Amino acid sequence: MFLAKVSKIVHSTAKHEAYSGKPVFIVQPIDPNGEPKGDEWVAVDYVGSGIGDIVVCGGAPGVAKDVFGLDLAPIRTLIMAIVDHIDYRDID
Amino acid sequence: MKLGKVIGRVWADRKVKQLHSCRLHIIQPMTSNLRKKGKPLVVADPQNIAGSNDIVVYVTSTDATQAFDSGFAPVNASVVELVDSIY
Repeated sequence: MFLAKVSKIVHSTAKHEAYSGKPVFIVQPIDPNGEPKGDEWVAVDYVGSGIGDIVVCGGAPGVAKDVFGLDLAPIRTLIMAIVDHIDYRDID
Repeated sequence: MKLGKVIGRVWADRKVKQLHSCRLHIIQPMTSNLRKKGKPLVVADPQNIAGSNDIVVYVTSTDATQAFDSGFAPVNASVVELVDSIY
């Protein structure tokens, strides 16, 4: 999984049914002290996060199928947790 | 999943049967402020969601097979959303 910041909302009407009714966000991966690091991803939210939240994203193949209880879920990047606090010390 | 713009289309008569009647787009990956990022790739569109010049969301890796009603196809990239707007 990776840490990311929710940056934008993706609005779409024509979509695969597994996406209907689910918020879809642009997330920018960050390192533990908040610096952007790496390419953006599009992620489906499962925990009610919003723009500006620091979240934990990721997902193993097929995880979305269980999480959303779908029989077909073409979803790879999932927002799994909203981060309250990060305690972290880099080692050199 | 990733964002991309449909920049082309691939027609092929002889292909694996799972891809029959499934459009194949050439998609240029984009950032959310619509700047090119990375190399174009071929993306399947089993739900017939996208057309030329559309901005789409596509799923990669094994989850791409889930975009097919059969749940299986030899693909690792499928269109899942047609983007109306991003803000």
